[in-house]
Amino acid sequence: MTIALARAAIVAALVIGWEIAARFVSPLLAAPPSVVLPALAGVLTLEAFPDLPRHLLVTAREIAIAYALAVSAGLTSGFALGLYRTLGRAYGPILAALYAVPAVVWYPSLMLFFGLDSASKIAFGFLLGFFPITLAVLAGIRQVSGHLLTVARAFGAGPLTTFVKVMIPAMLFTLAGGLRTGLALTVVGVIVGEILGSRAGIGSLINHAYGLFRTADYIALVIVTLLLVVASDAVASLVEHRARRWSE
Amino acid sequence: MTARVRALQVVSIAAVLVVWEVVARAGWVDAAFVPAPSAVARALAAVGPAALAGLGDTLLKTAVAYVIAVVLGVGLGILVGSVRLLRDVLNPFVIAAYGIPKILVLPWIIMLTGFGTTPAVLYGTLHATFPIMLLVMGGVRDVDRTLITVARAYGAGAWQLYWKVILPAVVPSVLAGMRLGIVFCLLGVLVVEMFAGVRGMGYVMGALANGFKAPELFAATALVSAASIAIVLALDWLNDRLSHWR
Repeated sequence: MTIALARAAIVAALVIGWEIAARFVSPLLAAPPSVVLPALAGVLTLEAFPDLPRHLLVTAREIAIAYALAVSAGLTSGFALGLYRTLGRAYGPILAALYAVPAVVWYPSLMLFFGLDSASKIAFGFLLGFFPITLAVLAGIRQVSGHLLTVARAFGAGPLTTFVKVMIPAMLFTLAGGLRTGLALTVVGVIVGEILGSRAGIGSLINHAYGLFRTADYIALVIVTLLLVVASDAVASLVEHRARRWSE
Repeated sequence: MTARVRALQVVSIAAVLVVWEVVARAGWVDAAFVPAPSAVARALAAVGPAALAGLGDTLLKTAVAYVIAVVLGVGLGILVGSVRLLRDVLNPFVIAAYGIPKILVLPWIIMLTGFGTTPAVLYGTLHATFPIMLLVMGGVRDVDRTLITVARAYGAGAWQLYWKVILPAVVPSVLAGMRLGIVFCLLGVLVVEMFAGVRGMGYVMGALANGFKAPELFAATALVSAASIAIVLALDWLNDRLSHWR
């Protein structure tokens, strides 16, 4: 109770501090909440940007495609590296080295290759989502106890049965966590890609508002994007909890 | 086994390069977008000096941002992690600050601080502070309670408790945070340079992409990648050394 109260107080202090601070700065640089709220209403009622739904749809589509690719490629490479020892020992370190490179390094090449439209954002979102999913599969496979596999084999389970009935349930929890992280990073990748250069999508709208110094609209669009981010993570967390309950 | 693994690694990388070279030379892909490795190697010589200067600039900004982020992340992480009430109240805020895409505030940072070094350092710091802080908070939370009770029983003051008990116990988390933080930091600096840079590797790469200079761009990408892998490996090595020593 005290904790909830303290948190509410912090949020209130931040909003009030923002309101006061913003009034002392040029309106080009900062917009107080009292200005942002009407702007947000204008954005949500589509008065400020009539084609907001179209842009949101572009972004959602990019995220969906990038995530589908990241999940399928991440699961495939994760299981390939985790189940075949030689492959894992040969390519695991290469993968780890690539993971140590800040992903944005690849973005200019992707933009050059795929152009300014959706394809480069999908490729970048895929790249960011792919690594955590692959790594989660690898970590999950390491968690499966050897005893379980031996017992399953002793009871005459074939490789496929062992995989579906023993391995997957035993690693589900870690896997679900990786899938959630993967989605979060795919979303980040698509948004970063759009802000670094695009013609459509929520990121291009943000750039547009910021470029015209429509600061209140810019903040309102950021809030809309954050809602999108939080919503996608909420769905992923729901799935994660389901998986946790099912595996227990 | 190890020899076989090494061989597989070398053969795979060589095979990728050879196939790539053949595909590019045969004209199956547009060389304007996917240049052959040999063309990239030649471009490396041409673009090398400019790229190295850009890389130096980027690494300098990264170093400044990194030092600030480590000091802030470790300091705040220990403070918030060790005071129960602070931790309970602030935890969701720190997680939120870690989780939200920082790129959304980048335009605003640029508006406030203009182009150049300041936004890059600021954004790099912003990127790296929260992951370090979260890891350190977790490390402090997991410090063995009996250690603290025993130290208190022997009359350790608050200062001694932090310096002699908590700090040594969180060293592994700090090191993990530092390893994670450097990649976040470099990422942040590069993003700012790409978005609104006037110098630095991100700017160089953005300019090469906009100029459709694929071989030079690939060469520059390889250079930054090699640099960041080298930095992370060095931190890993240091980490290893320190854990032996402890």
